[in-house]
Amino acid sequence: MRVQKILSLTAALLVFGQLALAAQKPITAIPDITGTWESARDPSAPPAQQIQLKPEYLQQKQALTQAISAATARGEPLATTTQRCLGDGMPGMMGGPFPMEILQSKGQVTIIQEAYTQVRRIYLDKPQKPVDEVEPGFFGRSVGHWEGGVLMVDTIGIKEDVLYRSNPHSSEMRIKEKIYYAPSGFLRDEVTIEDPVVLEKPYTYTVSYRRLPDYEMLEYVCEDNRYYVDEKGQQKLHLDAPVQK
Amino acid sequence: MKPNRQWRPSAWILALAFAAPALAHHSFAMYDNERSITVKGVVTKWQWTNPHAYLEIDAKDASGAVKHYVLEGTSINIMVRGGWRSNMIKVGDQVTAVAAPAKSGDPAGLLLEVTFANGEKKDMSIPAGYTFKRTP
Repeated sequence: MRVQKILSLTAALLVFGQLALAAQKPITAIPDITGTWESARDPSAPPAQQIQLKPEYLQQKQALTQAISAATARGEPLATTTQRCLGDGMPGMMGGPFPMEILQSKGQVTIIQEAYTQVRRIYLDKPQKPVDEVEPGFFGRSVGHWEGGVLMVDTIGIKEDVLYRSNPHSSEMRIKEKIYYAPSGFLRDEVTIEDPVVLEKPYTYTVSYRRLPDYEMLEYVCEDNRYYVDEKGQQKLHLDAPVQK
Repeated sequence: MKPNRQWRPSAWILALAFAAPALAHHSFAMYDNERSITVKGVVTKWQWTNPHAYLEIDAKDASGAVKHYVLEGTSINIMVRGGWRSNMIKVGDQVTAVAAPAKSGDPAGLLLEVTFANGEKKDMSIPAGYTFKRTP
């Protein structure tokens, strides 16, 4: 009887001890997001929020989109940055039809977008700099840290002419990202754009990705662009092959 | 049932959503998506490059006069994922190409499909290529 009591007490203590240990153990497991990915539609992803531009910027955008639509309808599309072999920059490089590679290394997450070989580096556990200390560029300066299974990223320093979906932005723009595995199994980038100058309020949209297990990234050099931009800003094609091989 | 008021895309927003991907990369609006042309001739240049590949063909018309065509493909990365290889076409090959003609009237087009010298046919895997009608 006594032996039984001791045994059951020991068993109870063991179970309790295990539970207590599990409860104390902080969630330190960083998800493995290294690999190649392609953007995909995740039906469970929340819909994008509507962008609310301040009136003067809304007018600016409408003028641009109307000019684009009118030129497209005439069959004379306006040139975009791609006619100059320029990539999308942030945040556009996180979407699109080309695969991208994520590399996790000590203190850094590196994202390589196949199109135009665009590279961004997310420095982990480093403070962000003030906006005026970051030279504006296509990819900006990104810092990040893991919160549980979520990579929280803060990006500043995007050139004002690097546009995402024709939306104007100021030098004050901040791109906040949460990168994590959604319950659906897709990798998700939840992107929030903050810009107190241009936006009425921040807006959020998501990009979802599926893993490409055996895909080897291809090089992408914008080597021989036969498009040129004419005096009206339109995209034109060289018919006479400017570069002979 | 109450309609979902959280997300009501206006026609304007929808138009933007569809315009945006085209804006992000090259627009194919220079090409007529209502009809296609068939160009049969000899390859004079096969340009395997990004941002897009180009196929140039000398084709004889009914009178025997040679017309030079410049046909635009898509990104070679997208083509490789669609099964294309750079060695599938060589200068001097006899090919038949189906293309969406340039709206400008220039002897140019957007390459939709190629029939190689050996009779095999391959689609160009143009993004949203299905929106370009193939007409006889």
